[in-house]
Amino acid sequence: MRIGIRTMMVVLLLACAAAAAKEKDATPQFKTAEAKHFTQAEGVELTPAFGDYFYAELREELKKAKLAGEVIGEGETVDDADAAQSIVVTGTITEYKKGSVVKSTLIGFGAGLRSLKMDADVLRRSDNQHLGVVRIHVKIDPTWNEKTMAKFAAHQMVKDMKVALKAQAK
Amino acid sequence: MASSVRFTVSLFLATFFLLLRASAAGQDPKPKPENTISVRLGDPVPAQKFANPPKFWISDVIDRSGNPQPMLVLKERGGIFLDRQPTVIVREALEESLKAANLLATDANSADLLLKVYLFQFGLAQGSRLDFFGKVEFTAMVKNPKSGESLEVKAAGTSIAKVAVLKKNIQKNVQDDVEESLRDAVRNFLRGQQLKEAAGALRKSTDAAPGVAPNP
Repeated sequence: MRIGIRTMMVVLLLACAAAAAKEKDATPQFKTAEAKHFTQAEGVELTPAFGDYFYAELREELKKAKLAGEVIGEGETVDDADAAQSIVVTGTITEYKKGSVVKSTLIGFGAGLRSLKMDADVLRRSDNQHLGVVRIHVKIDPTWNEKTMAKFAAHQMVKDMKVALKAQAK
Repeated sequence: MASSVRFTVSLFLATFFLLLRASAAGQDPKPKPENTISVRLGDPVPAQKFANPPKFWISDVIDRSGNPQPMLVLKERGGIFLDRQPTVIVREALEESLKAANLLATDANSADLLLKVYLFQFGLAQGSRLDFFGKVEFTAMVKNPKSGESLEVKAAGTSIAKVAVLKKNIQKNVQDDVEESLRDAVRNFLRGQQLKEAAGALRKSTDAAPGVAPNP
């Protein structure tokens, strides 16, 4: 019985190590990825600094996710040979609600939270074909600043993008 | 009586330390060797391939950030300063990369295109307080000295670095962050579609102009 448990544990460990190694060695799905500054829909009142910070965070998250071999800056050139294996991420901030500290404190249970909705399109660089659409909705405490919201939004967006692109590849 | 004296002395000391702390907080940090960082590009950034490679010359780099203390990167924790002016760092980074790609002219007279760089931001921008947000932003006026025409090319670089607790680590993270954003901005400029289009349009205008000798 003891040997059986030990063997099982060794097999489990080996399986985990193999999975981790596979994840580590996995080649990126795309050669390059370019993130563009997101546009704001009418009625969205966010500072230009938010857009810049979100763009920086999105690029950082794309690098971390290893979705592409290289994350390039906005408006950079890509070799023609790599264009078919490259993506461009564009998007729009569709809704932003400032939230209410009073509601959040007095009512709680999600009332008065600061909320942000965004849509992102992932396009193939060579022919602008849609590879995926990602819609996210982030809610944070109204006392936190908007830059923190950008950080959470970028993380959530890349996570969903990865899932959408994997599903599309299958 | 003794307790009253003890209380007065304690109150006096507390007030003294509070005032001392307040006056120290109000003072601007001063550059010292231990709080000064040296921002360098490291390896040159590979430039894009031009069909007809022009020779560039950086005529001027002008600070347009409106920052009264351009060398002060971070004010908190005793301050972090740059060892050189941001304009000098940007010029050096651009020259190194252009030289490595064989796109740098030997002097202004032999250059096909002159670059006048306006630096709008260099260093840290306001982030989420959970990290350091490095940002370098400049605009270059690309001028053809023969035709006198010029076009604007924008470039920006960003970088995110982790915050730290120890002063030594903060300094290291800030240095890495600013270097990375400088590298990103130089890369954005040298590999940008805008530069490609500007160089193509400005050189085309010279080639089309009658009576102008072709560049050697």
